Amino acid sequence: MELTIVRHQVTDIQFGGETRLEGDCLVINADDLCAHLLEDDRLVGADLEIVHPGEDTRAGSVFDIIEPRAKAPGGSPDFPGILGEVATAGQGTTHILEGAAVTVLNEMSAAERGGRQDRILEMSGPASEHSHYATLHHLILVSRTREELAPHVRMNAGRLASVKAAVYLARAGMGEEPASSETYGLVGPAVAGHEGLPRVAYVGQIYSRQRSPEVDEQIVYGVNTNGMMPLLLHPNEWLDGAIVPAYVLSLGGQETYFYQNHPVIIDLYRRHWARELNFVGTVATIAATDNDDRDRNCHASANFVKWGLGADAAVLTKFGGGVPHMDMAVTANILESKGVNTAVMVSDMSGDRRVESALLFNFPDVDAVVYCGGDDTKWTLPEAGRAIAGDAVTARTLAAVREVGAASVVGVTNQQGATHIQSVIY
Amino acid sequence: MRIVHYINQFFAGVGGEEAAGAPLEEKEGAVGPGRLLEQLMGGDAQVVSTLVCGDNHAVENQDAVVAAVVEKVRAAKADLFVAGPCFEAGRYGMISGAACVAVEAELGIPAMTGMHVENPGVDLYREGLYIVDSGKSAAEMKGVMGKIVAIAQKRLKGEPIGKPGEAGYLARGLILDAFVEKKAGHRLVDMLMAKVAGEPFETEMPVSSFQATPMPAAIKDISKSKVMIITDGGLVPRGNPDKIVGMAATTWGTYSIEGRDHLKGKDYEISHGGYDQRFVEQDPDRLVPLDALRELEREGAIGELHNEFISTSGLANPLSNTRRMGKEMVEKVRAEGVNAVILTST
Repeated sequence: MELTIVRHQVTDIQFGGETRLEGDCLVINADDLCAHLLEDDRLVGADLEIVHPGEDTRAGSVFDIIEPRAKAPGGSPDFPGILGEVATAGQGTTHILEGAAVTVLNEMSAAERGGRQDRILEMSGPASEHSHYATLHHLILVSRTREELAPHVRMNAGRLASVKAAVYLARAGMGEEPASSETYGLVGPAVAGHEGLPRVAYVGQIYSRQRSPEVDEQIVYGVNTNGMMPLLLHPNEWLDGAIVPAYVLSLGGQETYFYQNHPVIIDLYRRHWARELNFVGTVATIAATDNDDRDRNCHASANFVKWGLGADAAVLTKFGGGVPHMDMAVTANILESKGVNTAVMVSDMSGDRRVESALLFNFPDVDAVVYCGGDDTKWTLPEAGRAIAGDAVTARTLAAVREVGAASVVGVTNQQGATHIQSVIY
Repeated sequence: MRIVHYINQFFAGVGGEEAAGAPLEEKEGAVGPGRLLEQLMGGDAQVVSTLVCGDNHAVENQDAVVAAVVEKVRAAKADLFVAGPCFEAGRYGMISGAACVAVEAELGIPAMTGMHVENPGVDLYREGLYIVDSGKSAAEMKGVMGKIVAIAQKRLKGEPIGKPGEAGYLARGLILDAFVEKKAGHRLVDMLMAKVAGEPFETEMPVSSFQATPMPAAIKDISKSKVMIITDGGLVPRGNPDKIVGMAATTWGTYSIEGRDHLKGKDYEISHGGYDQRFVEQDPDRLVPLDALRELEREGAIGELHNEFISTSGLANPLSNTRRMGKEMVEKVRAEGVNAVILTST
């Protein structure tokens, strides 16, 4: 399976006459984009704003951040199962607008949509220095849906609008001279050429069943993970639209942008190309609701890694809080018992910042632990010159001076591995 | 710079084990290792007073000795308090740790000590103190005192202390976030590759080691026992009268089940955000199995069901919290004459 990523550099976004890429400037015809989004009759409107790096701007609450990407004809579809037909993602050519993002805000308040944690996009000031998102040019999108629709239907419409907007923008890159291109592929358990190198797999959680997903929530290939057991995925499927985050962000942070630019998968590819290791594949899994499900999922994941991929070693990441934490650790422990070396990525689960409570597990062999951030670092954010809110509740407080923790600023903590936070035990 | 130094009878040259009963005594100026302390501190630093106490006397009269130490440090108008270093001497470590904690808490000045990692004073006091890793041998006095002085000076100037391994103190077991150049995803693969190659790697989160909880003795005759249910699944009467928070709860509640044969969903709510609550909302007996226990009570399989259950939320609840709540619950259980508890979790 081969995926060619064609990069078009974007250093500016402006509204203008015709949607196009003019040099490094993405010009967007707002009316044309809105008309495209409003083809979905659940929408009655779409608010669009442009935000640049360094601007005195705050936006929230963030539903998702997506890199504009569009598939060239002949490859797999755009976001299969959500936008395109269901087919294996990760094949053919994908045009991307590097330096740009579609940032989608929730149109409903946390209470209305059953969420707990709200995150903001901060474009300048102390918190922004630690988020990759502050370096991007954003098209901010709030889809306005018919209020009489059930909340899950409104969120489903918002999800569709989010990926449609990202694909619409990236189509402007097609036919333009790209800045660079790179081909991802030719990895897998039976691919020759890397014999003798450590065979390394990635096991990533994509959801935690602690929250029951909506019936029409689209997490993997357009479905909500009901009845799901671990899936064997080619790494390109993660990068190319097979997976999006849940409607309700869980502890830690996950965005579509860092599936498309998955820090662990990209790193494994680079080391594969550098002949440091043999990247044999990935497993996508979920955290369970009960012990039997946990055991089923963890054993199945471990079996894919050991017997399906023939891996010697695996890296594991989680999605969310305590239950996922345990599921990841149990999977790693099973792998260790099968002779597969592991390293796991955890967030801080202690609450009181004490090591004794942080890990939740004590498997002596699961001893390689990387930390992807807690909520310890706090900033007092200054009043924002410009505040872009998706809902009325957020609008009332967004611009004001406020204290925020690292986990509330999108991109600062991230369970896909994009965070620069590390723990120091003192 | 005024320093008060606490040492035991041995380091004061009073005597060995035979002098361990010696009471607390104050001597003017530096004694024994205090001279090295004064010299390494440099400048105008002066050990104005040395407090000497026999180790047995100190631990047998710990509260009184600690209180007396605090008062003498206060009277000396000290800027810094140093105890030890104590190396492997367990009683010396325990009194030094206790004195340092009390001095810091009551006088607000830095207090420093040093111990071998296996000194029992370490387990008791490491979280609250900077305890320099002294190793076992008192022959290393100069190096150990040097580390105590270096950290003390940083603290007096308000400078960052640095990591345990670098500054030479025993990790306190507390977590701080730092920002680093490499992304977590990159560090993850780095660490895996080091592990695969058999090279040393430094985990970012040490694996916890929990004290084993011994299995309690079996109940001889459950048919004569008074049984109680305790849950951490967050089930509370509708309205959450005790305002038990759903995450890292610091309180617990006691709720009557008197005269009832089962719990109805309409009467309860769940204060716990960590599990899919629908099945308990439908039927709280799934979490607090009142229906089954009433049956067993009627059959005589259990002696009696206590007419209340205890509930709290176990979600993301740190051990420091749960240990305390556990002890409080034990008091309640004992007071009610309960001799068997069923713990249900989610």
